[in-house]
Amino acid sequence: MSVLSRKLLRTISYTRGQFVALVVVVMLGVLIYISMNTAYYNLERSQQQFYSDYRFADYFFHVVKAPESVIARIESIPGVVKATGRIQQDVVLLKDNNERATARLTGYPLPMESEVNQLHLMSGRMFDQDSSHSAEVLVDPQYAAANQLVSGQAIQIIADGKKADLLVNGTATSPEFVYPMRDASTMFPEPHRFAIIMLSQRNIQQILGMPGQINQVVVDLAPGVDETAIKSQVEEILKPYGNIASYARKDQISHAYLDVELEGLRINSRFLPLLFFLIAAGIQMVILTRMIRSHRMSIGVLKALGYNNAQIMWHYTSYALLVSLVGAVFGTIAGMGMASAMSNLYAQFFNLPQTIGGLNIQVVLWGFVISGLVGIASGLFASRSVLRITPAEAMRPEPPVSGRRIALEGLPFIWKRLGSSWRMSLRSILRNRSRFAITVLGVMSSVVLLVFASFTNDAVDYLLSQSFKQVNHYDYIVRFTAPVKYSGTIDWSRWESVQKQEPILEIPVKIHAHGRTEDELLTGINPAGRLKQVYDINSRQIQIPDEGILLSSPVANKLGLKTGEVVRVETAMGSGASRTRELKIAAIYDPMMGASYISYDTANHLLGESQVITAVMLKMDAPEVPAVEARLQEMPKVSSVMSPAREQESFLQLLDTMLYFILVMIMFAGLLGLAIVYNTATMAFQERRRELASLRVMGYSNTEVARLLSQETWIQAVVGIALGLPAGKLMGAVYMSSVSTDLFSFPAIIYPRTYFIAALASIIFVWIGQQLAVRRVKNIDMVEALKNRD
Amino acid sequence: MDDQVVMHLEEVSKTYIMGEVTVEALKATTMEILAGELLVILGPSGSGKSTLLNLIGGIDLPSNGQMFFQSQSLSDGGDKVLTNFRREEVGFVFQFYNLIPDLTAAENVALAAELVADPLPVDEVLQDVGLWERRDHFPSQLSGGEQQRVAIARAVVKNPRLLLCDEPTGALDNETGKLILRLLADICEKRGSTVIIVTHNTVIGAMADRVARMSSGQVVEIIKNEHPLPAERIEW
Ligand SMILES: Nc1ncnc2c1ncn2[C@@H]1O[C@H](COP(=O)(O)OP(=O)(O)O)[C@@H](O)[C@H]1O
Ligand SMILES: [Mg+2]
Repeated sequence: MSVLSRKLLRTISYTRGQFVALVVVVMLGVLIYISMNTAYYNLERSQQQFYSDYRFADYFFHVVKAPESVIARIESIPGVVKATGRIQQDVVLLKDNNERATARLTGYPLPMESEVNQLHLMSGRMFDQDSSHSAEVLVDPQYAAANQLVSGQAIQIIADGKKADLLVNGTATSPEFVYPMRDASTMFPEPHRFAIIMLSQRNIQQILGMPGQINQVVVDLAPGVDETAIKSQVEEILKPYGNIASYARKDQISHAYLDVELEGLRINSRFLPLLFFLIAAGIQMVILTRMIRSHRMSIGVLKALGYNNAQIMWHYTSYALLVSLVGAVFGTIAGMGMASAMSNLYAQFFNLPQTIGGLNIQVVLWGFVISGLVGIASGLFASRSVLRITPAEAMRPEPPVSGRRIALEGLPFIWKRLGSSWRMSLRSILRNRSRFAITVLGVMSSVVLLVFASFTNDAVDYLLSQSFKQVNHYDYIVRFTAPVKYSGTIDWSRWESVQKQEPILEIPVKIHAHGRTEDELLTGINPAGRLKQVYDINSRQIQIPDEGILLSSPVANKLGLKTGEVVRVETAMGSGASRTRELKIAAIYDPMMGASYISYDTANHLLGESQVITAVMLKMDAPEVPAVEARLQEMPKVSSVMSPAREQESFLQLLDTMLYFILVMIMFAGLLGLAIVYNTATMAFQERRRELASLRVMGYSNTEVARLLSQETWIQAVVGIALGLPAGKLMGAVYMSSVSTDLFSFPAIIYPRTYFIAALASIIFVWIGQQLAVRRVKNIDMVEALKNRD
Repeated sequence: MDDQVVMHLEEVSKTYIMGEVTVEALKATTMEILAGELLVILGPSGSGKSTLLNLIGGIDLPSNGQMFFQSQSLSDGGDKVLTNFRREEVGFVFQFYNLIPDLTAAENVALAAELVADPLPVDEVLQDVGLWERRDHFPSQLSGGEQQRVAIARAVVKNPRLLLCDEPTGALDNETGKLILRLLADICEKRGSTVIIVTHNTVIGAMADRVARMSSGQVVEIIKNEHPLPAERIEW
């Protein structure tokens, strides 16, 4: 080993605390880079694989009822590779405990091989074409797990007004059920209340009394075709059969949700490691620059001996490179562990067939390359000062570093009040600008991460409280399988413990304007009602107009609509002829979730009915009244009875998984802050050793000297925290707007509590890093530090 | 000048152990330091002068022996006692001044003044060392002699009973060196402090009340000087 390498190792061993702190920062960067990218690639790959292997549809069309023969006509449209006709319908599922759930019955023509949206069997065996008495079905794994369903068990549904028994054969998934959700207005899956039930086409036709009929067409398009043109052609064919809705894959719920997750991962997997690498580069640069300055004399000697610039620069650069390599090795090991933990988590959330684990060699290689480049770049950048050192000059002792006046001294009012120790700290900070900058930046990043880690929790919590406390004031919402007369329910309010009831009429519609069409759900409620209120994304209450539509802004934007314009609204109920009426846009608002509203009367008018409803909201004496619930569950046309209180509970359980992620992030953020503070405080300590020793000689105690050093760190930390809090908010807003889609838009809500916790947590981590650095004050050797300069 | 003893060293020694090698920097030494005297410790480089001064000033602990300041033992007290001793009783002046670069001349002095209950007025001390006009300058804006005068002011402002100077003229030219020595002698006289000057420069011994000669870690003799010369008359 050359003498220089030995010198390098000795330097590392003298400054091992700092070396370790640097390694930790690089390690965290590599860890996050590898785990997030691996998780991203794995998830994306299994999504793509699943979609193509099981032929996920490009376009979806819903009709009231059409003969199977339309499929052949649709397939004859150029650009349509394959079309599959099927029946999908929501029916009531009767659970053993008398509760009701919604079952989304979905039929599959057999054999399935060439069809669009095929099934992947996860357990049990495939259903038969025909079954003698009860139809064989497959259930989605989430519902099966939540309700402890096993193969061979029977379940009961109410379809076409009759009870029917189904036999569970096992569990299955399909690209459209990766994330099984009822509709876009439910933010989370409801595994206790919502099931996907898959069975043969012939059985579902028989159960629903629709032989030879279909109500959905899913199509596979050739790559690169004009989707909208084909969409219009298909709609033309389906028009006589009551075309209710048509949407592209990107608006399919499960896909949209998976995309939000992927997009979030993609952003995080790029942005978060970048933050760590930048901080690592910055701090390495500062440390090396200082190191070179203090080795000035030795560098002069080396040069005098005949070492060239490149050799000396490489010597210092290899320090940084070593940090990177050691960091990358540990980061890779930890990153692979975290990637597999994340994959396990995703496997629980998403119904994907392949296990989504797996090590991505390319990501690991990139982890090494990036961290190596960071090391080399910061090393070379810092060691360029070696070029300026001339041997002759380097041999002379350095003059004292120059103290200077700072801007604050222009304010004698404040300055006069500061003791010498504050003056010392402030001037020292401003003299060491790069150290100041990196400390502030480091603490700031740590705070940004702390805020960022916790704010998704706030946003979800906010959504919940918004939905449960502001929007919905009822205790039960009772939905019907089809519109019913309100008068039939009017005596419910005389039931015991029912305080109040209000009607809802929900109408799926097509809105035509400016030659374009959008599907939308219009919710008709009484503008003067109390049980459901509309709020926009900024928590402002929005009044429902007596006449005209309160339109959601995504739909308004897509159709290019402004308040006051008149649109054509075509009803798209699952049954009956559609009706078209002209309605005025009374107002446009930014929804958080959910759709557009009209008044209950307008809704009835739109349907050409009076006093019909699709649901009733009930306000009770208590959040849950089992007796009333049981009675409602018994009623023939009731499809579901939902209790917000119960829903909220299951949402909160989901939040627990998120908490795990938050804790990990908080730990990383804390380690980052700790490492930076430790490093810069140690640097400050090393540089001021002599000064601090003089203070000790003068009679200052260890505690007083330590306080002096801490003071400097705290000034910088406070600046970092003050900048980090708003920066964290900004980053949250940017993140939320980039993952928001037409279906889900998220508010960037951060509670004051979160700022407080982030500030508190960073104070704790700064304190620890700072304590680790100043504990050496005890060991200041006064004699050593005051020895003649060498 | 009375012969009151402020400090007593009893068989004090200092040994440095560096792996296999032990260096006896100071062999067992017994001596007294008198109130208000100007003591010059003379000896060649490496003879143990700084080691002795550091022990007297309480910035180092002896390997063996006992040290007393008045009647208080310094060698058994621990860090707290030593820190207090330095804070209340000692002013240190070093060869390389060791000023705080981020504080102005006046602030460097104030830094020491803040430590004691009853310091001398900072302005007065700066006037005494002739730097009142330059009180707002930073160390980097001062010459070596000026920096050393700030260091002396910083040591003196606490009004310490012991003013300890390790090679105070070592980094200065002759004329400036004399100025510094004059200042130290004045302080000794005016404030009645005990001033100890460590130097390898034998001629400085001429201004002392007593001269301690050192050689290879031992105080070989202590000579009383009946007729100390004023500093400006010392010839290099
Ligand atoms: N920290 C130390 N470790 C080892 N040896 C030391 C140390 N400090 C001083 N010495 C040795 O002790 C002896 C006396 O040193 P010192 O008191 O500094 O001499 P002087 O001040 O008279 O030049 C010298 O031989 C020196 O090398
Ligand atoms: Mg010496």
